Amino acid sequence: MARYALVIDSRRCIGCHSCTVACRVHNDLPIDMIYNPVTTVGPTGVFPNVHMVHIPLLCMHCANPPCVDACPSAASQQRPDGIVWVDEKKCVGCKACVMACPYGARIPNHEKGTVQKCDFCKERIDEGLRPHCVETCHQKARIFGDLDDENSEVYKLVHGEHSIRLLKELGTDPYVFYIYGWEV
Amino acid sequence: MKKVDLEQEGIEIKKACCYFCHQNCGVLVYVKDGKIIHFEGDPDHPTNTGGLCCRGNVNLIHLDHPARVNYPLKRKGERGAGEWERISWDQALDEIAAKLAAIRDQFGSEAVATAGGTQRTDDWARRRFMNLFGSPNGFHNSHLCWIPTFMVETAIYGWCPFEIDLGLSRCIVLWGQNPGASTMPEMSAISLLKSQGLKVIVIDPRYTETAAKADLWLPLRPGSDLALALAWLHVIIYEGLCDYTFIEENCVGFDELTLHVEQYTPEWAAPLTWLTPDQIREGARMYAMNRPGNIQWGVAVDQLGKPAGSAMHARALLRAITGNLDCPGADLLTGPSPDFITDEEMELNEYLPEEQRAKQIGSDRYKLVTWPGYSRIAELTKKYWGKAPTAEWMCEAHPPSVFKAILSQEPYPVKALLVSATNPVNSYGESKQVLEALRTVDFLVTCDYWLTPTAMLSDYVLPIAGSFERPTITSTYGCSDFLLTSQRAIQPMYERRTDFEFWRDLGLKLGQGEHWPWETLEDAYLSRIEPLGYGVESYDEFVEYYRYHFPEREYYKYKEKGGFATPSGKIELYSSTLKELGYSPLPEYIPPVENEIDNPELAEEYPLVLTTGGGVMPFHHSEHFQIKELRFLRHEPYMEINPATAAKLSIEDGDWVWIETKRGRIKQKANLTEGIRPGVVYTQRGWWYPERDMRDPELGGCLESNTNVLTSVADEDCDPLSGTWANKGLLCRVYKAYDSDRKEDN
Repeated sequence: MARYALVIDSRRCIGCHSCTVACRVHNDLPIDMIYNPVTTVGPTGVFPNVHMVHIPLLCMHCANPPCVDACPSAASQQRPDGIVWVDEKKCVGCKACVMACPYGARIPNHEKGTVQKCDFCKERIDEGLRPHCVETCHQKARIFGDLDDENSEVYKLVHGEHSIRLLKELGTDPYVFYIYGWEV
Repeated sequence: MKKVDLEQEGIEIKKACCYFCHQNCGVLVYVKDGKIIHFEGDPDHPTNTGGLCCRGNVNLIHLDHPARVNYPLKRKGERGAGEWERISWDQALDEIAAKLAAIRDQFGSEAVATAGGTQRTDDWARRRFMNLFGSPNGFHNSHLCWIPTFMVETAIYGWCPFEIDLGLSRCIVLWGQNPGASTMPEMSAISLLKSQGLKVIVIDPRYTETAAKADLWLPLRPGSDLALALAWLHVIIYEGLCDYTFIEENCVGFDELTLHVEQYTPEWAAPLTWLTPDQIREGARMYAMNRPGNIQWGVAVDQLGKPAGSAMHARALLRAITGNLDCPGADLLTGPSPDFITDEEMELNEYLPEEQRAKQIGSDRYKLVTWPGYSRIAELTKKYWGKAPTAEWMCEAHPPSVFKAILSQEPYPVKALLVSATNPVNSYGESKQVLEALRTVDFLVTCDYWLTPTAMLSDYVLPIAGSFERPTITSTYGCSDFLLTSQRAIQPMYERRTDFEFWRDLGLKLGQGEHWPWETLEDAYLSRIEPLGYGVESYDEFVEYYRYHFPEREYYKYKEKGGFATPSGKIELYSSTLKELGYSPLPEYIPPVENEIDNPELAEEYPLVLTTGGGVMPFHHSEHFQIKELRFLRHEPYMEINPATAAKLSIEDGDWVWIETKRGRIKQKANLTEGIRPGVVYTQRGWWYPERDMRDPELGGCLESNTNVLTSVADEDCDPLSGTWANKGLLCRVYKAYDSDRKEDN
């Protein structure tokens, strides 16, 4: 069984938001919903000694997803391959998961009365394709793959480069890895 | 998730391209029963390898957006009242043709002018129409975008070395270019190669997406590029960093250049560029000592106004003295394609009589990208390469002078303006004057996707087919030796047509029948690629099976060809072609058009230095403001100012502020950033508000936040070689806008 993960190479990300737009367009999201915003930190410092980094955010597809634990209707689920998703038919819109997720990755859909989120475009994954946000990235800053596969690019990056995970001290065991090119 | 079954029966996958900038990224479009059900970046396309930027992702939203123009429209009420009558194409073309013929009879063919935008059209067809009609007065805002650079470099080396051999390069200079916000595939290649050791130098007043990734960022004073280029020449020559063998074998005029740049020391340039002498030296050394290297063209130098031509000249010499030309890893002199029919060969330039060429507006003052300079350069390149650069783009009327001619009737009346794929109010310099000209011109026709402010003022608006509705040949303004091709995914929706059909059909109505043998754009394209010898029956077949034609890369072509396409057959550091046209054969120093040293009084009134023109994702020039799936990323215009400067002006982050030059003022929101030098201001380009009242005088607030209100097209601010006008290095002041003056009168 695969264990899917996403590596975000901040050395290559330029903050162009293509991933955000591709996700919204292909998932047909209402204008007030974003699964994967790109935040930009900086320029920090004082001119001309400045620095800037882009941090794309999305569901971390945690190994210990607090959103799944928090869901009272069993709508929030995790597949054996690690993908955390919401069964909209079961979702009652209570937003317990929104409160539980430390990454802000749970997005209420005000039209449907449900909560939705990034599911790594699981229908595409099942067909052997990659998520839209990965496919669209000109900069190849988003690398998707099976972390259990020693030959995969994500495996090599996670084990070969100094990567970090956001808020891992919370014990969520996130499966989105960030490479900055320096020690953080 | 929008689930689309891509395995269902009856689906055809078309190899189309995105059309929202000139990269033309490859796209696979899934079509069933003439309708598009899905699209994705084409992973096998050499340009984008599957990637698509923000704009690329909204292709289907653009395709059937409710605000698109879908039928020919004829003005019913007053000009700009927004009252339209839907008419047939046939009626529109009949009436436009009759009007143009009447203007020709009364005022001469030259009284009809055409305005274009960036390359999103088949403008060889437009040129063909204009040549047959007899008017020399076609133009684009190409002066701001590469065309003067192309012509200056061709004068010096015999072609423009725009093809960069990046894979083998050790250093790239991004001079006023920000691929991180404009050319995503290039940025991707640079990031990859940088991780393998490529040195990246970014010359830009702003800490851009690209500067953030650079090895060396040189935040020069806006408009001072020429001083920097001259100082680099000085450093490279006087520190002995030249490629002397290359110079000895291939260049003339090195002694003259050496003497000429002696005065331009880094210490001389420091107060002009606001860089330290060490920063200037470091950049010059990095470029000269990491060979082979590239200087990638960027629009910044084209947009300097008066010093532009000289700056391009100096920048061009940097390649020559370091031998960074036509060798592996450097900037390549590929020349035009000897194999396929180029744009120029489709233009019928020989049909424009000499006496009409002489009437080209602006050619008496700005000789390089008009008939006088173009003729000379075309003669040299034809002798050497067998072909000439594209005349559309490289040989055009001077746009500001045409707008002035509409207003002043000098040197003669211009009565009709045909606008294709541009919104001149927002994209040409000194917008108030452009708007006045559009309101004044007797007859205005616009071909566009949208009812832009310009379209709103038109007598006729014609619906144009966009990406996926048209085939495309991509060949760098018709000047590359390669081409990439894309299919039409679907026939145009509603009554839209391609711009090619507009010019052809108009030509047929005006008796040009014998010169328009192709019924479809695909037929015309097929005739262009037939000489490549692939033996295809149709254009679509070529796209399906070959998609592109890249000739085998040849280096050192000049060795085999016995020199360069210049009068002496050498690289002319001391340019005889420029001299012949009445310009300095060596790059002279010309200060930025407005500056604190030469205009201290002006600087007292307008104490900040302004740079305009830099693009931002997700917009392209003045486009895409009506697409909410893009607009949500940047729903309002932002200017950049350093927090220290803002504090002195009591401006806080997010405040609406006025930015004012002596030509007018505009309003944008303040973005306080350390990514710009104190005392420097940047404004976003292109802005208008399609969501507002589009009728005259409101016209979608087309002047309110429009950076071109601030730019200068005064004759004395234009480059004497090309006539390009000043977008950068202007003086301005900034002050807070209050609610009471939120709206600027048009």
